[in-house]
Amino acid sequence: MKKITFCIVLFQLSLFAQDMDEMMNQFSEGNDFEVEATYKSTWLVLSQTNETQNAKDLNFWIAHRFGDIGGEFGGSSTLYGLDVATDLYIGFDYGITDHLTVGIGRSKYNETYNGLIKYKLLRQSDKMPVSVTLFDQLAWITREEFSNNEFNQESDRISNFFQAVITRKFSPGLSLMLSPGLLMRPDAQLLSAEDQNNLFALSMGGRLKLFKRISLLVDYTLVEGLGREANEELYNPLGIGIEFETGGHVFSLNFQNSQYIIANNFIPNTSKSWTDGGVRFGFAISRNFSLGKKKNN
Amino acid sequence: MIFKNRYHIGILRISFLLKIFCACIILNASQSKAQFLQSKSGNITFFSEAPIENIEASSNSVIALINSENGEIAIKVFLRSFEFEKALMQEHFNENYVESDKYPSANFKGEIVDFKGLSKLQKKEFSIKGFLDLHGVKKERTVIAKLVELNNGNLQLQSNFKIACKDHDIKIPKILWKNIAEEIEVSLVIPLKPKEL
Repeated sequence: MKKITFCIVLFQLSLFAQDMDEMMNQFSEGNDFEVEATYKSTWLVLSQTNETQNAKDLNFWIAHRFGDIGGEFGGSSTLYGLDVATDLYIGFDYGITDHLTVGIGRSKYNETYNGLIKYKLLRQSDKMPVSVTLFDQLAWITREEFSNNEFNQESDRISNFFQAVITRKFSPGLSLMLSPGLLMRPDAQLLSAEDQNNLFALSMGGRLKLFKRISLLVDYTLVEGLGREANEELYNPLGIGIEFETGGHVFSLNFQNSQYIIANNFIPNTSKSWTDGGVRFGFAISRNFSLGKKKNN
Repeated sequence: MIFKNRYHIGILRISFLLKIFCACIILNASQSKAQFLQSKSGNITFFSEAPIENIEASSNSVIALINSENGEIAIKVFLRSFEFEKALMQEHFNENYVESDKYPSANFKGEIVDFKGLSKLQKKEFSIKGFLDLHGVKKERTVIAKLVELNNGNLQLQSNFKIACKDHDIKIPKILWKNIAEEIEVSLVIPLKPKEL
């Protein structure tokens, strides 16, 4: 009988002794926040990141690519490419919701207008290992024809690029991504008779934070059928950049072998190489405007 | 008292056990109803007043526990649960200032000074002394609070205090001093319910 009494009393004591810390821990279970700020902007150097604009935010983006630093077209006569602008891009992105962004832009190259749509399909959290964002970009070449009947119909001027951006923020300082994509071009935009309409591309890259507001960016795109016959030799685009974030502004200073800024242009047409002086300097500036309040509490 | 046979002794033993058991259950029930007050939906709002912009953020999922026997108190808020007017402010708050990847929550643990039972505290201000753990830095704090009885009979803990960013090693870049105050005003409203086990 003493034993039973003892057991009951012990049971009571264990209840008394329940620790406040333990109880607080029980309370805070089940909090699963989505990972945020995998990247600081919607572009890495050349490729898209998984980031979209927040709801009601408008983002203004300017990017510039200079000429070849070395080689035949570079050197001191063009001040290492700074006299030349191979491409310029001005674009606006707007967040319809926190997960859906639409944008328009215009490139100097081929006087290309583009419309884009970006949707955050999966968001990394404790339960979800990666973020996946779907990206689709339609590009429309508006320049005059170089030769008669270059573009027989308006649809010959249009190309479409679709990509699934798969990324993971491994730590506050390191995010990596792998993005398979498909570019579809009409016959009129092919570089030669043997060129392919559909090109698969696999982008890989990441961000490494060097300091709190300064990061190193790298991206590399493997393009299918590089050996395909074209007038010039084609290369896989590689971009390396440094990104500065100053609260609302993002600056990126970068180097890349691709002359062009949007994927529809750089995936099929990158004809410069890092090895023979075809690398160029470029920069991008973005400014974020909040057009509305996020939530009414 | 004289026991006439084993049968009687047996009955007495069983009734003794039962008494202990009942006493324990009653004690238990009174404990579980009265010993702890809890909240999972407290509100913390903070406010930064600076020349260029005022920033306000609020969380409605503050966790709190008060031991009504000895006045111990614990409060926890996940920094990611703070909602800002602008999404970019929220991102900067988490990534650049409180670094919520590394330090997910702010925690306070302490006790009510000169505690003599919850009923003695109502309708007057009292002090809570303890440690605030924010951004990996523990700081001893004494804050003034009060307990207010709501219409539904539950209690609500209220407090206002200031946190200096530099006390918790939260650095504000010099170019942004006009955007972010060095001292953040914090207001805390936590409705409390008896904890059910």
